[in-house]
Amino acid sequence: MSLTYLEAIREAQARALRDDPRVFIYGQDVGAFGGAFKATKNLAVEFPGRVLDSPISEDAMVGMAVGAAIEGMRPIIEMQFADFSLVGFNQIVNQAGTMYWRTNVPCPITVRLPFGGVSGSGPFHSQCLEGLYAYYPGLIVLTPATVEDAYSMLLEAVALDDPVIFCEHRFLYYHLKAEKLPDEALPIGKARIAREGRDLTIVTYSAMVHEAIEAANELSSEGWEIEVVDLRSVKPLDTDTIVASVARTGKLLCVGEAWPWGGVTAEIVSRVAAEGFGLLDAPPQRLNAKDTPVPYHPNLWAAHRPTARSVAAAARNLLRQ
Amino acid sequence: MRVSIIMPQFGESIAEANIISFLVKPGDNVSADQDIIEVETNKATMTVTSPCAGRIETFTAQLNESYAVDAVLGYIEATQEEATRLGLDTAAPSKTPDTERTAKAGPNGRTRVQPTVRGLPVPANAAGASYLSPRLKARMTELGLSAADLAGVAGSGAAGRVTIEDFEKFITALEKHKMSGASSMRVAVADAMRRSWTRPLATVGLPVQLDAVLAHRKTLAPKPGPALYALRALAMALSENSAPAGRLVGNKIFHPGSIDVGFAVEAEDGVLVPVIRHADQKGLRDLTERYNELVELARQRKLPADATGGSIATVTNFGTFGLAWATPIPLPEQTLVLGMGAGLPAPHWNEQKGQFVPVIEACLTLSFDHRVLDGGAAGRLLQRIASLMQQPERL
Amino acid sequence: MLQTALETKPSQETKSVRDIHLSAFRFMLLARLLDDKLAALYRTGKIHGGVYLGRGQEGLSAAVGVSLQKGDVFAPLIRDAAGRLAFGETVLDSLRTFLGSAHGPMRGRDGNVHRGNPSEGLLPMISHLGAMISVVNGILLARRLQKKLGTVGAACIGDGATSTGSFHEAINQAAVEKLPLVLVIADNQYAYSTPTSRQFACDSLADRAIGYGVAVQTVDGTDFSACLKVLGEAVSRARRGSGPQLVVANFLRLCGHGEHDVPDYVDPELKNSPLGRDCLEVAQEFLLKKRWLDDSQLAAMKEEFHHEIETAVARVQREPAPDPFIEEWCAVASEHLNEGNIA
Repeated sequence: MSLTYLEAIREAQARALRDDPRVFIYGQDVGAFGGAFKATKNLAVEFPGRVLDSPISEDAMVGMAVGAAIEGMRPIIEMQFADFSLVGFNQIVNQAGTMYWRTNVPCPITVRLPFGGVSGSGPFHSQCLEGLYAYYPGLIVLTPATVEDAYSMLLEAVALDDPVIFCEHRFLYYHLKAEKLPDEALPIGKARIAREGRDLTIVTYSAMVHEAIEAANELSSEGWEIEVVDLRSVKPLDTDTIVASVARTGKLLCVGEAWPWGGVTAEIVSRVAAEGFGLLDAPPQRLNAKDTPVPYHPNLWAAHRPTARSVAAAARNLLRQ
Repeated sequence: MRVSIIMPQFGESIAEANIISFLVKPGDNVSADQDIIEVETNKATMTVTSPCAGRIETFTAQLNESYAVDAVLGYIEATQEEATRLGLDTAAPSKTPDTERTAKAGPNGRTRVQPTVRGLPVPANAAGASYLSPRLKARMTELGLSAADLAGVAGSGAAGRVTIEDFEKFITALEKHKMSGASSMRVAVADAMRRSWTRPLATVGLPVQLDAVLAHRKTLAPKPGPALYALRALAMALSENSAPAGRLVGNKIFHPGSIDVGFAVEAEDGVLVPVIRHADQKGLRDLTERYNELVELARQRKLPADATGGSIATVTNFGTFGLAWATPIPLPEQTLVLGMGAGLPAPHWNEQKGQFVPVIEACLTLSFDHRVLDGGAAGRLLQRIASLMQQPERL
Repeated sequence: MLQTALETKPSQETKSVRDIHLSAFRFMLLARLLDDKLAALYRTGKIHGGVYLGRGQEGLSAAVGVSLQKGDVFAPLIRDAAGRLAFGETVLDSLRTFLGSAHGPMRGRDGNVHRGNPSEGLLPMISHLGAMISVVNGILLARRLQKKLGTVGAACIGDGATSTGSFHEAINQAAVEKLPLVLVIADNQYAYSTPTSRQFACDSLADRAIGYGVAVQTVDGTDFSACLKVLGEAVSRARRGSGPQLVVANFLRLCGHGEHDVPDYVDPELKNSPLGRDCLEVAQEFLLKKRWLDDSQLAAMKEEFHHEIETAVARVQREPAPDPFIEEWCAVASEHLNEGNIA
């Protein structure tokens, strides 16, 4: 029995609904239709009255989740695309994100964002917003890269007392499969060494972890062993694991699918420069998407974001310094 | 021409589809858009249609197997006009380039403004053989090493840079050798010599007759060594003209304050340099007394702090080792060091007697920081010292 | 779809119309005197940041607070001092927030009107107007899911806030879910300096109700008795399961947008019209005329409130300010996930 990343997310939601009567799901088309990506398929039938269709009102959706959380529920909001969460951005960062700090009343909501690029989706169905949400205090931002993490981290997210932005990569939804669900997992806040190496550290997250591993395999045939660190959570960032890896390899390449200005890769480089300067044998590098909206045409799309080829090229460049 | 049949993208969430039946067989003629393969996705049964009119050449896909979007499922043989009509004969769309071609003009046809800041050449010391990465520096600090210690390491990095890997290999290889500790004196001298050597040093030499000095010293008690005569002569010459002992820092020359001259004393595993203050104002007798005091203190390792440091020149006598000449290295904060070799019998042409007569001759060498003075000034200083030493009663 | 089980709250007493009016008036007067005190403190430099008062809105606001019951939810806005007091907020908490006491409900982390007590059903506003309404919706939905029926949620907003997307999304959402929401629009003719002619094109904000599919009533905001009647009915209907109730009250803002603002943009004709009446004076006159109050009782009330306010101010001014070196500086409840000093 193998299951996809998407199915793992559905399983996690089913389990959350089953185990905790405080959980409910609210989003567009999540009820009878099962969600645009079928992440809630059949859940409305299995858990009547707890998987509710919302109007196209991301602002009110999040506000409602906050209110429900104040009243003791554990709402899961499904945004149809990360890009549309921006309509509810204010409620996420200013209502949910500040509630605990201002009032000491926790706000345990989980906002699920289908994010990242799939060829042909275009500028408004492809955005990577993890850096934007990580910027605001009060939020936890998660970016699972594996089927197992999609499952266990979503369960842990729902159990946390804080607002969680759960970034699910749309390309991984159907393309990534695993044999079974995990029994145990690393806790949120710990990064994972996805591939051990010796000569260079690639720090990345979500779909880019798989590109990095493919690049590492390519470089392995050239005699280089690349270590790949899967962040798993963008906020909090597991700086310790990153610095320890750079201590082993001396070289850092941060890869992200998001835009180059600021963001996750810049944050990592900044921390390693500050805390691990004496570990670096070469200047730390970043590889991000190009600084334009995400293009529609597959040719342009393929060149817009890092790929295994471009990651390998960047790594090679760094290895030769 | 041969046209590929590829698995279409049936929907955003579809990654692959299962072949459930072939609706035509190789050899069949098909029209454009005719259904030719039936596939099943996780949502529904769909059909793959023919990209053009032609004859099915072959199906490479197999029944009941799953194929990903964009996979080739088979080939159709199409006429050239059909291919042209449908635009299938144009070159395949260029693959994503690995390197970017820089466009000459922007989309409006205007030439791009060149950025003034980006693309500046990297400063010379941030790349290449002399570049030490932060990690390398940290490791060197940890081991107490300096750049001079890396002289023996070949760098494998860009432009000959010594990488951390090169360094660790070097250290590992070293550790295989027999090792003894270097005394703190040795390390101190090493550091001083390394720092001194960062300047361009040169040496000039002049043989000097010692007979007058040797005769004069017999008349004194205690007897001064010949090198003391040289030290006194150096002090007097510098008091006449102290410019050669000046110190260059940046584009300024700092003149000596008082004529304090040091002399080298061999100590266990190194060299001590006690200093005689105001050597220009002390006659030979006083100099000898002070010299003997300092040598004794040095030998007992009881030199007070104010007896070392601050000298403007040093005198070193390697004649005691039997050496004829040498090129000493001045202390890092000094411009000059005067060395004296062993006094050896040498034939000297006596014009009066019309024959070679034996004299005792020693070689004086003056090593100097060539940034401060040139051979001429160095030579003149040596000549003055040599001439002063011919009249030892005036010293 | 909804059950209409009406739970009688044990704490609910039967109040006579007279008692309700007197109760509302007390909160109106207390709010006005407190506002006067805050204005004075502002002008002596004791308050850090902005001061926003509710002069002219006391009647409407008190009516909302008085009509709600314990256990209901209330999201007041900028000028709802009277409503907050009626709902149970203390004078102390108001002063503590304005004066930055570490003992206040927001502990110095937010100030002035951005205060509340979510566990008691009093929601602290964020500055983005219209954003609180959907939060009330969420609480009501949660209670429905928890099968706790019979409570009402009230949110107050101004004419300006009705232009926001948040307002639109929230009232639509409440209507679709048929939630027991009472949404009170205080149309005081101005949003800061913007007159309503530049805020909306329909004749009255009440016209929007039909678009959302909700019931609506309009009321003279200067007439506290009318407000009490209308709000009482709206709250009852919502509690009975009739879905969201929109109330549009018309009156004039009798102060600047904030105390830093000199409102010389207000149309003098409005000031001199019935819309410009001071609801407190109207209420006072009403009660005296009805002989539900006499001059000496009124004087005693004022004296009592002055004393309460002065005592509270004195107490709060002796309380400590927050200490940045004791502060946790942690914005997440899950301490193990706090990044701490990462700059």
